[in-house]
Amino acid sequence: MAVTVLGISGSPHRHGNTETLLDKFLEGAHEAGAAVEKVVLRDLLYSPCRGCNACHKTGDCIIQDDAIGLYEKILAADCIAVASPIYTMGITAELKGFIDRGQYLWARKFILKTLYFTDEHIKRHKGIFVSTAGLGWDRVFDGAFPVITALFNSVGFEYYDNIIANDMDQFGGIRQHPTALSEAYEKGQKVARVLAHLRETT
Amino acid sequence: MPIKVLAFAGSPRRHGNSETLLDWVLAAMGGEPDVSVEKIVLSEANIHMCNGCNACEKLNKCIQRDGMDVVHDKIIDADCIVLSSPIFCMGLAAQVKALVDRAQVFRSRKYVLKLPIVPPERRGKRLGVFLSTAGQTWNYVFDAAIPSVKCFYHVIDIRDTDIHYLMINGVDEKGAIERHPTAKSEAEMLGKDVVSELRKRLAA
Repeated sequence: MAVTVLGISGSPHRHGNTETLLDKFLEGAHEAGAAVEKVVLRDLLYSPCRGCNACHKTGDCIIQDDAIGLYEKILAADCIAVASPIYTMGITAELKGFIDRGQYLWARKFILKTLYFTDEHIKRHKGIFVSTAGLGWDRVFDGAFPVITALFNSVGFEYYDNIIANDMDQFGGIRQHPTALSEAYEKGQKVARVLAHLRETT
Repeated sequence: MPIKVLAFAGSPRRHGNSETLLDWVLAAMGGEPDVSVEKIVLSEANIHMCNGCNACEKLNKCIQRDGMDVVHDKIIDADCIVLSSPIFCMGLAAQVKALVDRAQVFRSRKYVLKLPIVPPERRGKRLGVFLSTAGQTWNYVFDAAIPSVKCFYHVIDIRDTDIHYLMINGVDEKGAIERHPTAKSEAEMLGKDVVSELRKRLAA
């Protein structure tokens, strides 16, 4: 069975800089033999977390909508590439809305103790953050990293790499960036090969 | 001179820790003479997410017609804007991030269209307050939320140095903040201090 790579696009803007970068990564992974799928959050119907904490007792979310299906997909994938542009120094509200809904997995892990990921499992599940920012500041992604870390921790994925490019406003878009797209493609190839190799060495 | 305070209760959980903290600050502010306080509950405010369409860079307004139409004007009118959010997954609650992202219209006005956010005589006379609570006890639990908060205040013409913060970690279940040793007194002191600073600025 092929390595499965799931791309999640958290931009409301279709086929913009971030989604284009994600597409290149997925293309590279596909070329290296992975089975690739992309989900666009804007196409799904889900509400943000209500903070009701019902999941702390049951381990399940009381809102049964598309967010739950996507978490199931994530848990079944070998690699996830989570993509969001930087809006006001953080990830988009779409992606934040989805990530907040993962609270039921956090509750299973830390309150109910019904979910546990071994180190071996985490090593074989790679998470990658894909992002672009208009501003050229070095620290423009800093507000996003801890939130992405929280997501990868909840779903049992190693935070493997970032594919990020800032200063989009100056470059005039990702296609004018000298290295970002080829880097994304190469990283897609690489992670697919690394995961395939990990499987062979079981 | 009357002082207008606009507050956003950002938690989807009503009357939980971050809203209680907010209520303490607002009660202290509202207890001062000539202060009017309005609280907006974000989960009931019908504020949709930013579409990232960048139309506001040309139109100087958002193409979405929703609760933000009302909130936009209130943000400009207020002397003090108080934002409260719990920390979810190391960041602002998604409901708060939606409001913050919709402030893009102010960013376009300021930086693309080069238009003022408030009239020149009101610049430097507005203050911001960010209130937050987190279940985790890590002292860095608020760090990832703050850049977005600063960005929000920046585009609505409230300077970094004019933002006051009160962030309480280690409060998780509903009501936990009531048992916190200093949160309530700190909130009340903050409310009074901010009003007295506003009075000074507005009189100047």
